[in-house]
Amino acid sequence: MNAFWIILTGSLVATCCSLLGCYLILRRMAMVGDAISHAVLPGIVIAFLFTGSRESVPMLIGAGLLGVFTTFLIEFFHRYARVQADASIGVTFTWLFAIGIILISVFAGQVDLDQDCVLYGEIAYVPLDLWITEGGLSLGPRTLWTIGIVTVLIILFIVLGYKELFLTTFDPAYAAAIGISTSVWYYSLMTAVSLTTVASFESVGAILVVALLVAPPATAYLLTDNFKKMLLLSVMAGILASAAGYYLAVWIDGSIAGAIATVTGIEFMLAFLFSPSRGILLKRKQLKPTQH
Amino acid sequence: MILQVENPVVEVHDLTVSYDRKPVLWGIDLTLPAGALVGVIGPNGAGKSTLIKAMMDLLPVGSGYVRIFDKPIDEVRTRISYVPQRESVDWDFPASVFDVVLMGSYGKLGLFRRPRKADKDAAMDALQKVGMQSFANRQISQLSGGQQQRVFLARALAQNADIYFMDEPFAGVDIATESAIIELLRIMREQGKTVIVVHHDLQSATEYFDWVVLLNMRLVASGPTEQVLTQDLLEQTYGGKLTVLTKVGELLKKQEFPSRES
Repeated sequence: MNAFWIILTGSLVATCCSLLGCYLILRRMAMVGDAISHAVLPGIVIAFLFTGSRESVPMLIGAGLLGVFTTFLIEFFHRYARVQADASIGVTFTWLFAIGIILISVFAGQVDLDQDCVLYGEIAYVPLDLWITEGGLSLGPRTLWTIGIVTVLIILFIVLGYKELFLTTFDPAYAAAIGISTSVWYYSLMTAVSLTTVASFESVGAILVVALLVAPPATAYLLTDNFKKMLLLSVMAGILASAAGYYLAVWIDGSIAGAIATVTGIEFMLAFLFSPSRGILLKRKQLKPTQH
Repeated sequence: MILQVENPVVEVHDLTVSYDRKPVLWGIDLTLPAGALVGVIGPNGAGKSTLIKAMMDLLPVGSGYVRIFDKPIDEVRTRISYVPQRESVDWDFPASVFDVVLMGSYGKLGLFRRPRKADKDAAMDALQKVGMQSFANRQISQLSGGQQQRVFLARALAQNADIYFMDEPFAGVDIATESAIIELLRIMREQGKTVIVVHHDLQSATEYFDWVVLLNMRLVASGPTEQVLTQDLLEQTYGGKLTVLTKVGELLKKQEFPSRES
């Protein structure tokens, strides 16, 4: 049963990350996912200091706000201070992450959090933290509920906002001209990324969330030319990595999160080598664009 | 020579736009008539693209305002269409030609509604108008420059707007595409639509447009083509550089060389 809980949790994390990652990589913002996943740390700590518990809802709110604040800062420095986008990302998230670390160390006595847990997570503990009702009924792992609800929200967001997300990702200027607000969809997407990151940090950790945000979408990008198929393939690659990663970790007796991220890397390499359209080994003869 | 019209479709009042506190457009005051094919012409860096972007409120504006159909722009968004410069998007995006053209229906559909059969038919119809119907399922990365431009135009057509802003639609396209596009623009004008085109080729400007806006950071002229495209006004727009251009142009005309590159 433990294996089932762990793989299910991993798969849900992978589903959220893989879906949102598709938009991030096509917007050339993969590293913004990286930034958010680190910068939510002070949000988590502050939420914890305020409520004194590791309840999910305040943490999701705290981290969600910090995530949006991060993207806002990145935009702000890039646009108004005219700093390069990557430099702006680098400055913003390391600074916020550092504040988080300081908060943890200063309030070490009160905070039941440690950097290792935040950075690397421990998905193996998922089945231990069960949600047991007052009547004594076990409802399964607590983390699973958090990530489950977030997954439902993310899928709803993508289904309902499909065409707006698609258009603002492909051609923001045209979207703005015909009256679709690019900033509303940009910040909604970033809120979704923040929620996903914080819902998954307990299980896979802040660093490995980045692997799931980038590697499965990049794999899917190599395999298809159709955006809907890309979303689907990305989710499949993410889920496959969770399951295969779990058994790999059991086999080598190592970190589960580490093994999952390793499998996403292997998937990407395989796609890179064997993709029918872009792989370097099995490249189909393509219709070359005719010169005008 | 700045001619103002009555009941304009576009009214720009005292518009100033700056990038980084450096002004690129200064005090633009102009009105454009309905049902015209308007060319926005000027040298590189004159602010042509900036002007049409500012007209659509895509840029922060320093001062002034724009009214379209005598209303603030946000009230008439569904009646506006835009053909951005081809290079402004990533053509390796995982989308088909049809996916892109169907985007034309997104503005009118509003939130949460998916394109229906009527929208898909309109998209197919638009593709047919630009002669790209057989490319509907083609991946956009496999298109040539001219084909990309036609796809963008089809997307705007599918939208069935009343006013169209086009940023350099003739840049880097083949002659067949250029004449196909101008033919479509003329049909649109017949249907009473207003089309505003950023253009850089003076030779073809006389032939294509019935209203011309000459721009070089300031508004030099705005009026019917034959009154605006004069030696004097062009020199004001292009400065000394024009003399070379006119000489070349006259030479080409005399010898009846093809007047365009590529």
